[in-house]
Amino acid sequence: MSADSSRLGRTNAAFGMAAAITALFNTALAWAKDTYKPLTNLMDAIAGHNWTTQALADVMLFVGLGLILSNTAKVQAIRPERLIFFLVGSVVVAGVGLFAWYAVF
Amino acid sequence: MNVTANDAILLTHATVGVLGTVSALWVFVETLNVREQNLQRIRRAALAVAIFMVAAWIFGGYWYLHFYPAERAMILKGPWPFAHNVFMETKEHLFLITLILSFYLPIAARDQLLSSAAARRMVLCVAGLIALSGLALEGSGAVIEHGVKVALLRPSGAEIRK
Repeated sequence: MSADSSRLGRTNAAFGMAAAITALFNTALAWAKDTYKPLTNLMDAIAGHNWTTQALADVMLFVGLGLILSNTAKVQAIRPERLIFFLVGSVVVAGVGLFAWYAVF
Repeated sequence: MNVTANDAILLTHATVGVLGTVSALWVFVETLNVREQNLQRIRRAALAVAIFMVAAWIFGGYWYLHFYPAERAMILKGPWPFAHNVFMETKEHLFLITLILSFYLPIAARDQLLSSAAARRMVLCVAGLIALSGLALEGSGAVIEHGVKVALLRPSGAEIRK
């Protein structure tokens, strides 16, 4: 482990950012469909069930965003500590946000 | 012995979910001790996490769509409606975050783990998040199944069983 670098690879950074954004999107979409019934109906119609549509939307967002960000150097320019903090923070906020939402409403 | 498709699919879902969670813990421990000799093992274990979680998604998704509605009706009539309203609702959406992290872990593990401390930290954080959320999901599954059990076992369960 000599010559320790403090950088993340471009693909790693891009998909890390995509994962963080997808986690937040997933929770926001869960809240939205819980409060706006027409959205649930639309998502039911798209893939047979709103949960299936949400899963497919998450995967497409993660892959699409990851591929797009991989073609730019912008995310790699972010300090790795900040990106890691953003990913962990996003997942914690998204997870706690889901539990709190369903516990309260 | 009468094991239905419902039982087999549900238990397979729980089993591959545990295997994915344990594999994430495996990646975490191996990454703490990363060296040339275990680099490929870390990457294979990261891929195993993704494969197990995809299997958990397919089996769990099929069960949720085809068999869960009957159990949901029992839970909502029983003394533990929160088993569905809080725990299942959270579980079905939280799982999707774990799934995305499981897709990302093999990508993070392909980075320069030997030379980059940042790459190692990223793998440690992602594997840790998968392991912790996996435990939360397994615990939620137990609460949901207990919600069905108490609905059927309590005196009012006779009404539900009809």
